[in-house]
Amino acid sequence: MSKTIFTLKERPHVPLETEVLSPDVIASLKHAEVEALPVFLGKRQYRLADFFAIEGDGSEELEIHGDVGRVKWIGRAMTRGRITIHGDAGMHLGAHMKGGTIEVQGNASDWIGAEMKGGLIRVAGSAGGQVGAAYRGSTSGMSGGTILVGGSAGLELGMRMRRGTIVVQGVVRDFAGLQMKGGTIVLLSGAEVRTGAWMVRGTIVSFTPLRLLPTFSYACTCNPIFLRLYARHLQTLGVSFPSAPEAGFYRRYTGDGAVPGKGEILIWHPQQ
Amino acid sequence: MGGKVSCTLGEVKNRADLIIYWGGNPAECHPRHFTKYTLTQKGRYIPNGRKDRTMVLVDIRETPSAKAADIFLQVRPAKDFEVITVLRALIKGHAVDPELAAETGLSMEQLQDLADRMKKARFGVLFFGMGLSMTRGKHMNSAALLTLAAELNAYTKFVAMPMRGHGNVTGGDVIMRWTTGYPFGVSLSRGYPRFNPGEFSTIDLLIRGDCDAALILGADPGATMPQPAIDHLARIPTIVLDPKVTHTSRLARVHFTTAATGISAPGTVYRMDEIPLPLRPALKSPYPTDEEIVHRIYQAVAAKPPLPPAVMLSQATM
Repeated sequence: MSKTIFTLKERPHVPLETEVLSPDVIASLKHAEVEALPVFLGKRQYRLADFFAIEGDGSEELEIHGDVGRVKWIGRAMTRGRITIHGDAGMHLGAHMKGGTIEVQGNASDWIGAEMKGGLIRVAGSAGGQVGAAYRGSTSGMSGGTILVGGSAGLELGMRMRRGTIVVQGVVRDFAGLQMKGGTIVLLSGAEVRTGAWMVRGTIVSFTPLRLLPTFSYACTCNPIFLRLYARHLQTLGVSFPSAPEAGFYRRYTGDGAVPGKGEILIWHPQQ
Repeated sequence: MGGKVSCTLGEVKNRADLIIYWGGNPAECHPRHFTKYTLTQKGRYIPNGRKDRTMVLVDIRETPSAKAADIFLQVRPAKDFEVITVLRALIKGHAVDPELAAETGLSMEQLQDLADRMKKARFGVLFFGMGLSMTRGKHMNSAALLTLAAELNAYTKFVAMPMRGHGNVTGGDVIMRWTTGYPFGVSLSRGYPRFNPGEFSTIDLLIRGDCDAALILGADPGATMPQPAIDHLARIPTIVLDPKVTHTSRLARVHFTTAATGISAPGTVYRMDEIPLPLRPALKSPYPTDEEIVHRIYQAVAAKPPLPPAVMLSQATM
């Protein structure tokens, strides 16, 4: 299958907004048309070719080289295809996306997969804040799809998320699952404080003990079947849970009592 | 969540019987607050003044304001969000883990007592300062307190009001709100307002180095912002408009001395309860006003020949 390869010529000195870097926009275009696509540096409009060296005609597979840490809105609202970023990615990566795959080999910035509806985002390094979150003033965050983060993640992970899955290998900062109303967050190395604050529904699974808010109450000790199914599903995406389901059980806490909510936090407890 | 329940300070004076100061030190920072509006004044429905009011101070240490308080609650640093979340659960009668709640530095009795007082008050006010909004949790701490005030309205009248610091910051928020729809953190680069604090708010922009020029109007970020933000202000062309030479002026490329608003220039200032107050100057100043300078900068920029459309520009160089 043909590829379109973009190489950043020079890191822009202020953020560059390139919502056109999406398979939906680029797939049907010829090389010259791709070069002429509009991008915004501050308030000024430029051509995509002013910042990227472009190889090949438009296709469903985009490969981006160079440090695009200051390039925002890549893959905005994409529905199909694949974007591979060889380097760091900027803010709002894959925001509002509905399908397709985004792969980042470096770190990603804030708001990745914000309000996404479907598809897969895989970040090899760390992610910034507000992963899969709702934009300010919006009632719900991601409502489908999967976000996999290899490193750590920032504040307000999955804020107001409604459905979908977020898996983070590293430690997550404060307010993971803030005001969550559905979906699943899997924390393989735990989180700092205020995890699940004001959550109404949804599931947060942690394989490391968490410091919970006083408004969460202990419900029971269990080993839910659905987590085995989840583990099997995530294995197909290359993520494995650190312990076999037989090696222990989960302590289940419900909350947040302040809202009041029916969310659950499952904390892994290895069998002695 | 969303919305803000507020009132004017006149209503506080005439009606409030429960005054809660959270993360602020009004005795030293807003010295006339107690005597003009919140504590000692007699009001229409507060005939006995101070005797009819209960004052609660919530802070991480005992400040001089604690002397004025009937109840002083000392919370552990960076535990405000937990305390407010517990209060939100208690006013609804939901279970709270007493052991975890004790980590906030307050006992369950103290928390329950505060929750009961809040529900029983006829008119309660929460004033919050930077001890709440600038500690761990930041905007979520403020959001928690505003939500608590909103939820208390299921039982009684309750409002929340930030204790604003520098001159007329409230005015800045109010004007941004009615011109763009958002109070701060607004980007107009695409021709329409976009609101995203964290992305477009000043400190974040400066720390990431996402802007290549700065115009500072009546503020001194060089004295208050984190060092990486100050470093970036020194790197880029910074223009300062201020009646006096500030820390920021020293690292700026250009400093304009302006007339001091309210002393030698007229204007409108917004009080912390968002009441606009006209100011009449008492003195004359040889310096121009902020408005005049901004207007002249704008005229000079408008008089410049427009840049050719960027798309054509790049084609010409190809």
